[in-house]
Amino acid sequence: MKAKIKITTVLFLLSIISISTFSQILKIKGSDTVLPLSQKEAETYMKKNKSAKITVTGGGSGVGIAAFLNGSTDIAMASRKIKMSEKMKLQDAGKAYKEVVIANDALSVIVNPANKISQLTREQLEGIFTGKITNWKEVGGNDEKIVAYSRESSSGTFEFFKEHVLNNKNYGTAILMMPATGAVVQSVSQTKGAIGYVGFAYIEKNVKPLKISYDKGKTFIEPTVANAKTKLYPVVRPLYYYYLTKDAAKVKSLIDFILSTDGQKVVSEVGYISLK
Amino acid sequence: MKNKMWNKTLIKATLAITLFALFIYNVKSQEVEQNPIDTLTTSVQKLQSDFILLKKLKIYGYVQAQFQTADSMGISSFAGGSFPINSDKRFMVRRGRLKAAYDNGLSLFVLQFDITEKGMGIKDAYMKITEPWMKAVSLTTGVFDRPFGFEISYSSSSRETPERTRLFQTIFPGERDLGAKITIQAPKTSKWNFLKIEGGLFNGTGGTASDFDYKKDFIGNIGINKTTKNEKINYAVRASYYNGGYRQPTKYIYNGFETLTNGNLGYSVDSTSTNKGKIAKREYIGADAQINIDFPFGLTSLRGEFIQGTQPGTSLTSASPSDAPTTDTYIRKFNGAYFYFLQNIMQTKHQFVLKYDWYDPNTNVSGDEIGKSGSKLNNNDLKYTTIGIGWVYRWDTNVKITAYYDFVKNETSKNLAGYTKDLKDNVFTLRIQYKF
Repeated sequence: MKAKIKITTVLFLLSIISISTFSQILKIKGSDTVLPLSQKEAETYMKKNKSAKITVTGGGSGVGIAAFLNGSTDIAMASRKIKMSEKMKLQDAGKAYKEVVIANDALSVIVNPANKISQLTREQLEGIFTGKITNWKEVGGNDEKIVAYSRESSSGTFEFFKEHVLNNKNYGTAILMMPATGAVVQSVSQTKGAIGYVGFAYIEKNVKPLKISYDKGKTFIEPTVANAKTKLYPVVRPLYYYYLTKDAAKVKSLIDFILSTDGQKVVSEVGYISLK
Repeated sequence: MKNKMWNKTLIKATLAITLFALFIYNVKSQEVEQNPIDTLTTSVQKLQSDFILLKKLKIYGYVQAQFQTADSMGISSFAGGSFPINSDKRFMVRRGRLKAAYDNGLSLFVLQFDITEKGMGIKDAYMKITEPWMKAVSLTTGVFDRPFGFEISYSSSSRETPERTRLFQTIFPGERDLGAKITIQAPKTSKWNFLKIEGGLFNGTGGTASDFDYKKDFIGNIGINKTTKNEKINYAVRASYYNGGYRQPTKYIYNGFETLTNGNLGYSVDSTSTNKGKIAKREYIGADAQINIDFPFGLTSLRGEFIQGTQPGTSLTSASPSDAPTTDTYIRKFNGAYFYFLQNIMQTKHQFVLKYDWYDPNTNVSGDEIGKSGSKLNNNDLKYTTIGIGWVYRWDTNVKITAYYDFVKNETSKNLAGYTKDLKDNVFTLRIQYKF
């Protein structure tokens, strides 16, 4: 009888330990742009802290902040600032939060490598993504139909591009909305007349980043780390983490690491612009 | 020798049977066994499709339990209803809401009940259909909030004060009406999303009350809601219009004022026989504005709304009727407004609330003119102002605690018995709300 009680007690304690271990998993959710950076940071951090357990999932900045609001993630990653409406919802839910900029990104416009175009003005980009320019010959390219790819509306990149490049104009009805940044890169790499926009870390050999002009074609700037750091490249944006003040102790160690020299090295390795 | 032969045959037969059995078993196993990844994929796909269906159905609810104490017993109050004749303190469930919504993207079904110690009632029962092409025009029909101003549609569960203002409780009791409205608003992805236009026809009786005349009331509004690029300031302005009325039950219409034979100012009466059955005009015009600013010391909100117009009523009330009136019609020019100042204390769970409102049911008269002999002016023509001070504490995502004090001040008249001085009708409310 005593043995039975002992076994039951041990099992009970083990279950409690396993539950408490499970509850220590740090959940990060949100922006697809920030996703590769968070994944790499989490991997590096977990190598240094063997007991740490972190899960990272994408979906878009809007999805991350919605998850943050309903309590299903500890950190929301976002490629845009938290909206006023989201701030008010957080206030209504009695949730105080903190914002941390973990890196910067140079939002890059990409085309298929077979495309002879290597630079565009902001106005031309606006024309393409609002559906006014539909053929590459209109911007000095071949006589070929433009296939423009965008992220979905839940994406922070979608909103940032609309606000800063399209001057808040609506995307054209023919623009193809993709569920993830990876899908934009893949589609552009496989479609001759394609154009899309992605975070700097998503630039691969099978797509060509374009130089951009924000002074009506006087100067065209290439998206590079150096140009982004000197603010020469015109479309640079911060990448954010949001967490609840009450969870500060839980997330502090990871955030301290990301902001440290080692963490910022990871930022550069992934292809974003470090803060240091 | 024979035995040896027999044994060999037996062994061969056994082997053949075993092999056959193994073959059959193997074939059968191949029939039933599936690749574990396929099995998992099938299960996940089924779960996903069930989850998508479940996500369309949303259940919301909240309960507001409160304790109130008034300055005196049996006061008439707009802070959750008048107090019983022999009571100045009470516990009550102010609201107990359960709302179900089925959102299918371009169509929406909503049903909301209010369940308290007083009974159960329907608050919302409507459907909304959005056209699939531009997704900018939608039709809502059933029982739902009147599309007028801000305070009507601002949920009681989110509102920082326990009750809506006296003005709204008088001219829009219950907030809702039976009718149909068209809403024009571009999708969130459009740059025109900041602009919203609503217009519709309603019974004019309020809530779920059946209509009692042929007149249908028009309610419409146009407004904008914008946020600055740095997401630090959000502002909204809107203009609203109401045009309706109801059937006059008698030929006596008290509309306008004149000097009576006794020298007092009083209602002038129109008793043309054809007045009976005509429509008494109900017309309001309103404007509202809200601004929310994200300061380093906390989120600040300022809200204001002003309404003026013509309100038909009876000698006993200026409130909009839910049943067919049976007595003479009194037409009053009115105005009213409210202003909110809300300050979140840094990024804490505490919020300070200050509210000022007034309702003047009869702007043609004031003070001692009310109650004079023969004037037919009574306490229903007095102006009320209320200052409310409160504190909101958000315990967690679900629980909110509100402590709020209403300083109510009425217009006085030395000619109106019972109203020669300010009434003792201030009310303190302590409320706990659970919302999910």
